[in-house]
Amino acid sequence: MAPPRGQIRPARYLLAFVVILLGIYSLVFFTGDRKPTPELGIDLQGGTRVTLTARTTSGKPPSDESLKQARQIIEQRVNGLGVSGSEVTIDGTNLIITVPGKDGEQAKRLGQTAELNLRQVKQAVPVSATQGGQGQGGQGGQGQGGASQQGDGSGASGQDDPANTAPQAAAQQAQAQQQDPGQQGDSGQQQDSSGQQAPGQNGDDASRAERIEQLKKLRQSENPAIQRQAVMALDCSAPDPLRGNADPNKPLVACGQDGERKYILEPVLIPGTQISDANSAPPGQQKPEWTVNLNFKQQGSQTWADFTSQNVGEQVGFVLDNQVVSAPGINQAIVGGNTQIEGDFTQEEADNLANTLKYGSLPLAFDQSTAETVSPTLGIASLEAALLAGGIGLILVAGYCLVYYRLLGLLTILSLVLSGAIVYGVLVLFGRWIGFTLDLPGMAGFIIAIGITADSFIVFFERLKDEIREGRTFRSAVPRSWARARRTILSADTVSFLAAGVLYLLAVGQVKGFAFTLGMSTVLDLIVVFLVTHPLVALASRNKFLSRPGLSGLGAVQRMGERARKQRQGNQQQSASGGTPKEA
Amino acid sequence: MDTTGSNGNAPAADSGAGANAAGRKSGVLHRLYTGTGAFDIVGKRKYWYVILGLLMLASAASIGIKGFNLSLEFEGGTSISMPAQGASGQITTEQVESTFRDTLDEDPSSVQLVGSGGSQTVQISTEKLDVQQVGEVKTALYEDLRPLGANGQPSAEAISDSAVSGTWGNEITRQALIALGVFLALVTVFLVFYFERWMAVGALVALIHDVLITAGIYSMTGFEVSPSTVIGLLTILGFSLYDTVVVFDKVKENTAGLLSVTRRTYPEAANLAVNQSLMRSINTSVIALLPVLGLLVVGAGLLGVGVLRDLALVQGIGMIAGVFSSLLLATPLLVDLKMREPKYRAQRDKVVQRRENRGEAGEQSGTGEDTSATGTDERPKRNGSAPRMAGAGAAKGSGPSEQARPSGKAQRRSGTRRRR
Repeated sequence: MAPPRGQIRPARYLLAFVVILLGIYSLVFFTGDRKPTPELGIDLQGGTRVTLTARTTSGKPPSDESLKQARQIIEQRVNGLGVSGSEVTIDGTNLIITVPGKDGEQAKRLGQTAELNLRQVKQAVPVSATQGGQGQGGQGGQGQGGASQQGDGSGASGQDDPANTAPQAAAQQAQAQQQDPGQQGDSGQQQDSSGQQAPGQNGDDASRAERIEQLKKLRQSENPAIQRQAVMALDCSAPDPLRGNADPNKPLVACGQDGERKYILEPVLIPGTQISDANSAPPGQQKPEWTVNLNFKQQGSQTWADFTSQNVGEQVGFVLDNQVVSAPGINQAIVGGNTQIEGDFTQEEADNLANTLKYGSLPLAFDQSTAETVSPTLGIASLEAALLAGGIGLILVAGYCLVYYRLLGLLTILSLVLSGAIVYGVLVLFGRWIGFTLDLPGMAGFIIAIGITADSFIVFFERLKDEIREGRTFRSAVPRSWARARRTILSADTVSFLAAGVLYLLAVGQVKGFAFTLGMSTVLDLIVVFLVTHPLVALASRNKFLSRPGLSGLGAVQRMGERARKQRQGNQQQSASGGTPKEA
Repeated sequence: MDTTGSNGNAPAADSGAGANAAGRKSGVLHRLYTGTGAFDIVGKRKYWYVILGLLMLASAASIGIKGFNLSLEFEGGTSISMPAQGASGQITTEQVESTFRDTLDEDPSSVQLVGSGGSQTVQISTEKLDVQQVGEVKTALYEDLRPLGANGQPSAEAISDSAVSGTWGNEITRQALIALGVFLALVTVFLVFYFERWMAVGALVALIHDVLITAGIYSMTGFEVSPSTVIGLLTILGFSLYDTVVVFDKVKENTAGLLSVTRRTYPEAANLAVNQSLMRSINTSVIALLPVLGLLVVGAGLLGVGVLRDLALVQGIGMIAGVFSSLLLATPLLVDLKMREPKYRAQRDKVVQRRENRGEAGEQSGTGEDTSATGTDERPKRNGSAPRMAGAGAAKGSGPSEQARPSGKAQRRSGTRRRR
């Protein structure tokens, strides 16, 4: 830690800084999109942001894997909106959807939980509950062939009968919901209206958990009598609290998505995650209607092959979020994983069903924690306000430094300006490289960092005063005080950086931007103090005119230093004349 | 500066301890500016403990009894906002309420005008609405009131909305508390390694004080607590410690090698450090507060709501608390903790002994005689303040300036000297 005792060569440091600054700005202007503007968050440019919080019944945090999967699926949905610049990011156990501009309203409908499972239908009951369910695929028998048999040869090698199913999809009218099937009137995010309002998490978590437990007892009972009761009691027009909470290993009583039937379903046969692909196929030669092709992954297609060969004539429900989207009958054993679903589909219905099957299966259930749309007007107003606040802050700091430190204050201002320049450049680059967007909290972070940056100067200058007070000249005090101040600045900045880093890594929500800019400013502050402020002060101290106490505001302590010197050694120094410093 | 004539007891911290030999009357400000150690901060630590302790108790009581005024994010709900300027002039809250009622057949929880001038907005808060309802309300508001967008034309896009579930605020708070725990653990490790055990304890107590007082002020005043506030509170921690670290750095320096000399006691050295850091702390805080002030003026005055205001307010309060604690709480506490160690007590006794022997009047054993911890208050005089400044360098046992008298020529050291 021993500092060089001698004088530094300020020019070298300043040169290093200039090189860094030029480097940053040449990257800004000659790489990427060459636009010197940082990425702005939606609260500064207008747009929609939705925060989805993963909900697990166990209380255990969801696995990273499942979060990543969910992110991908939701991203695909978001991309379907066709708004450029949209993105889905993971933040803790949250997914954050941001859609810039004014077309983001639909994003609020994307986060609905969609957990897809295949369950065997034990019984289907019309909601009117007058007559028993009919119209399911017993009649079968049509449509063989035409299945795009991309036999993935899983297991059932040597089977050469074209495997396909042509269920009578009479029981299913995949409703044409826009964007995502499988939701009821998109009020998807509201919970059962229990608890949720009361603050005090434990309380309402507990009551919710209890309610879910009770519902499970009723609707997931294995007792046929209770199942029948549950069917009678089930209200298909209300949101379903069991959404995403149903136990896959138990039977389930659920509504059809069309609201016309209720189903008693067996335990989950194949989880939706085993569906590898699904697409809609236009009417062809053999098929007068739109159909949906479905492919299973290896494990799924094994199970599917076994099941279908034993259960021809039975119905299978595609259950999305505890709603039966479609319940085709099985016409034949389906080997190889490639399956065809047919019914009276319109193109839209087929598309929707295919999308549901393909993307519908989020590995997690989500609650919509926040959903906001910021108008461009408000965005601009916020941006202007933040800039104004920053400007006011800078002017106040500059004024204070000038009054208090005079010449040194001037150096402070110069350092702050350069600091601002470097920060801005880095901001633009980060926006480009790591997709960092500057939002309102981020701007607040910068503004608050002005104080922290200026503080490094103060630590240094106050040290300078200490040294001068002990009898050194301004000039000889600089290297010594710098050596001391350097340690303090480093340790204090370490603490600041720790705080910012921990916040950035652990906190959720908008604070990330705040923590990021705060931490970044801390690091850049060090660069500026080391490469600019200190060399500048060193330069000033060697200049006869500039080191006059009247200019540096160090008169009082210099006089004290004088006395100390005289007192101790009777040593003569050139008299430190000059005004008493103004006290701020 | 040399204090030859000590003037006996200095009851009040700023009653001149004759600290200035130049014969000129030095005011409080002057002594502040020059940091001559004229404030007996460590010696008066009992007062600080009592005052700050009472404040902390009051805060804790208020938090326990009155609780906080929590924002929308903790309750869950929907808020819709739009510019207060419509095509037909100023939009009134009555107009907004009636439009809302006509659309949804229910009343909003509150409608208010916030901010001022061109950025004035209408804020509507309601129970949580679903996406469809929000859409209906926005459409109706646009059709009835025609709020003006950025370009001065009526625009449907000028209306913003945000919906928050009742659990979101808690989620943020929970994560914030986890972050707090991790931060404290890391910082403790850092402090123990960088400084020493007792300093870590002092710094952490100061930290707890800052958080508690800030939270208490929020509770007492009924300022709204939003997730931004919670976050702002966390960032105060960094600042509070930052301040404490700077003071402790000075203490560490002033007390290095203290045990091998009998020039001054630990409390005196610590007090000197606090004094030398006093102006810096005040300066720092003022400078850190100035931008926060700018934020506050703009955030609260111009916009009226939101992240800027919340962050600025909590930072401002926390910073002020932080300065007090780092000066009045952290160091005195450190002194008390230190003086529990026999070697420091022994050193103090030696110092006292020496002073008695030499009968030096000028070398007052200034301040923090550690009467509380040890009960051995056998100093001859209590003329408590102003340890000699001239010797400031002298106490730095290990510092290169130990007893060094930098002569006027001292700066002619190695290195390049350039005439400019």
